[in-house]
Amino acid sequence: MIFETLLSQMPYLVHGLTVAIGLLVCLLSLGLALGLVLAILEVYGHWTLRLVCVLFERVFRGIPAIVLLLLFYYGVTDYIEMGSFTAAVLALGLRSAAYQSQIFRGAFLSVPNGQMMAARAMGMNKLQAIRDIIIPQALRMSIGPWTNEFSSELKATSLAYVIGVVELTRQAKYIISNTQGNILVVFGVVALMYFVVNRAGNWALYRLENRLSLPGFEHRGDA
Amino acid sequence: MLLRVENIHKSYGAAEILKGVSFDMAPGQSKVIMGPSGTGKSTLLRCINHLTPPDKGRIFVDGEELTAKNLNTMRQKVAFVFQDFNLFTHLRTVENVAIGPRKLRGFGKKAALDLAYKELERVGLSDRADAYPAELSGGQQQRASIARALAMEPKLILFDEPTSALDPELTGEVVSVMNKLASEGMTMLVVSHEIGFARKAADEIIFMEGGKIIEQGPPSQIFNAPQQDRTRAFLNVIEHGDDA
Amino acid sequence: MSAWFDFAIEHLPYVLLGVPTTLGLWVSAMTIGAMLGLVLAWARIYGNRPIYVIATIYVEIFRGTPMLVQMFFIYLGLPEIGIVFDPLTAAVIAIGLNTAAYQAEYLRGAVRSVPMGQMTAARALGMGKFQGFVNIILPQALRRVIPQWSNEAILELKYTSIAYAIGVTEITARAEKIGYETFQFFEVFLLIAAIYVVMTSIVAQLLLLLEKKVSVPGL
Ligand SMILES: Nc1ncnc2c1ncn2[C@@H]1O[C@H](COP(=O)(O)OP(=O)(O)OP(=O)(O)O)[C@@H](O)[C@H]1O
Ligand SMILES: [Mg+2]
Repeated sequence: MIFETLLSQMPYLVHGLTVAIGLLVCLLSLGLALGLVLAILEVYGHWTLRLVCVLFERVFRGIPAIVLLLLFYYGVTDYIEMGSFTAAVLALGLRSAAYQSQIFRGAFLSVPNGQMMAARAMGMNKLQAIRDIIIPQALRMSIGPWTNEFSSELKATSLAYVIGVVELTRQAKYIISNTQGNILVVFGVVALMYFVVNRAGNWALYRLENRLSLPGFEHRGDA
Repeated sequence: MLLRVENIHKSYGAAEILKGVSFDMAPGQSKVIMGPSGTGKSTLLRCINHLTPPDKGRIFVDGEELTAKNLNTMRQKVAFVFQDFNLFTHLRTVENVAIGPRKLRGFGKKAALDLAYKELERVGLSDRADAYPAELSGGQQQRASIARALAMEPKLILFDEPTSALDPELTGEVVSVMNKLASEGMTMLVVSHEIGFARKAADEIIFMEGGKIIEQGPPSQIFNAPQQDRTRAFLNVIEHGDDA
Repeated sequence: MSAWFDFAIEHLPYVLLGVPTTLGLWVSAMTIGAMLGLVLAWARIYGNRPIYVIATIYVEIFRGTPMLVQMFFIYLGLPEIGIVFDPLTAAVIAIGLNTAAYQAEYLRGAVRSVPMGQMTAARALGMGKFQGFVNIILPQALRRVIPQWSNEAILELKYTSIAYAIGVTEITARAEKIGYETFQFFEVFLLIAAIYVVMTSIVAQLLLLLEKKVSVPGL
């Protein structure tokens, strides 16, 4: 009985999962691009820019994800037209940028000074040196901590539920009200789906980290 | 003159590190700068390519003055070899050598790699081309960084104590590469206390102390008949093996 | 801007009435999390095989799935098998169980970073394994864990807003209510965003003070 319901509802859950993953990919990409820029400005930029970046980080890290979602969905849409999915990408993506910039900043700072110096000494300008020498090294070091960010943002996508994005958690709620029950089972299955995606993502990032790790710089290679 | 160093001054806070240093280098010349620790040798070298911009004084390379504007093109003519190598950690040896030609000199990928292999051969490292820096010995890393400098086809190479981070048994391989470059006519300005290199390859020794040049001349004169007591005392120490 | 200030001042009292709920929820959940986290950490370090496995599964599940789903599971799901909670209790339990998993991991890391010799020395004095843990290892581990624990506490303070989704009238729910009454959603959410920033900043400062106060040279 439960399994029949589950089977018939499965397409909805799968669809919800793809929406959640789509949201995750968009928000992480936004966070990655902006987080990288923030980190570069914070490490190499003028102090005024640094101040702006720090302020941005403080604000977006200080406000709960739910409040950001509501702020962007109910609030900003008063002024700029956008759907709930876009609002979720912006709210969670900007927040993720604040967290990711911390990761990247740490990585930039741990690239030894001599690397920048050697690049500048051969005639690269600052931007070239950052792009060709610093970023490739810093990104490698960021993969480990970035894995945590991936996990926490995957879970945060469920919060987009509150502004009506029809992602996995909201699909679960729909199914529960449509089928009048099966709550434990449905949420159990949904939890399992998040769990599996989380595990798969962590595994893939771990693989990536190992594949890109340089001889002499393997951190986690005890597997 | 290939290099003209004119009245360079540099202070860090209240401490005046360089107190007006001037000298010239003709093409093909090799000069060795010596002097006690903390005297400003590294600072001078870094002022020459503005890694540390001087407070006062001017640098000319091939008659053109080095300024904030032409900095990056001028640095391509003045290569720098560091005491601690600073090879790019994420690039294989051959890529370390190729990156300059590729990114700064407009070479295509193939041409840059060809040049890189050629320069690696010059320093005797062809067989380690695919290794990462962390997989090389100190001597190999320094030779790779010399190849990286050579691949810029610079007018002048600045060396800041290229052997002092190496175990004694590894200095020889680096010194012999440097000897070879000098004999091929490369213009080199070397901060080093390697007496062997200084005697054999240098056209002139510059002896610095307290932020100034206090004596300069051909190795035979400096080593055999130094004019200044300070020079004599210093040479005594390094020639008799006490660590300078 | 000044229009916003007027709005903010007018509605601040109503929103601030949610602060005790938010803080109460936070403190209760953190307390549950600390106690259960300690037990879980103990189980993961010193437990025998079955205990270790159970604790590990617990930690993996709670860290691997969203807190909102956990909260729905407890608040909406458990009544199916006759376990019913009011929203606030359900939220405390959900957040508490969730943070326990994280706190356990931080604590475990801290305990493992205490040098082996400390336990050996405790045993040599005649302490049992448990005594050694409580008297020697734990005081050191707790000090080491404070920075991570502070981070976690601040994260959880923000996560209390998730309770709004099951109808707890904390700050966020009150803000939404004002939003529907005035249709000034942007203004009111901006107001509570500011309140959260202030709250988390104050808590961060207090935790920093705590860290300084209990610090021991060399640890
Ligand atoms: N970035 C800096 N800021 C402040 N002081 C500096 C800086 N760089 C160098 N100095 C100081 O300048 C002085 C000269 O340093 P420099 O490295 O040029 O000496 P050196 O002759 O190369 O010595 P060594 O033989 O030990 O390498 C030293 O007293 C050093 O402490
Ligand atoms: Mg020096």
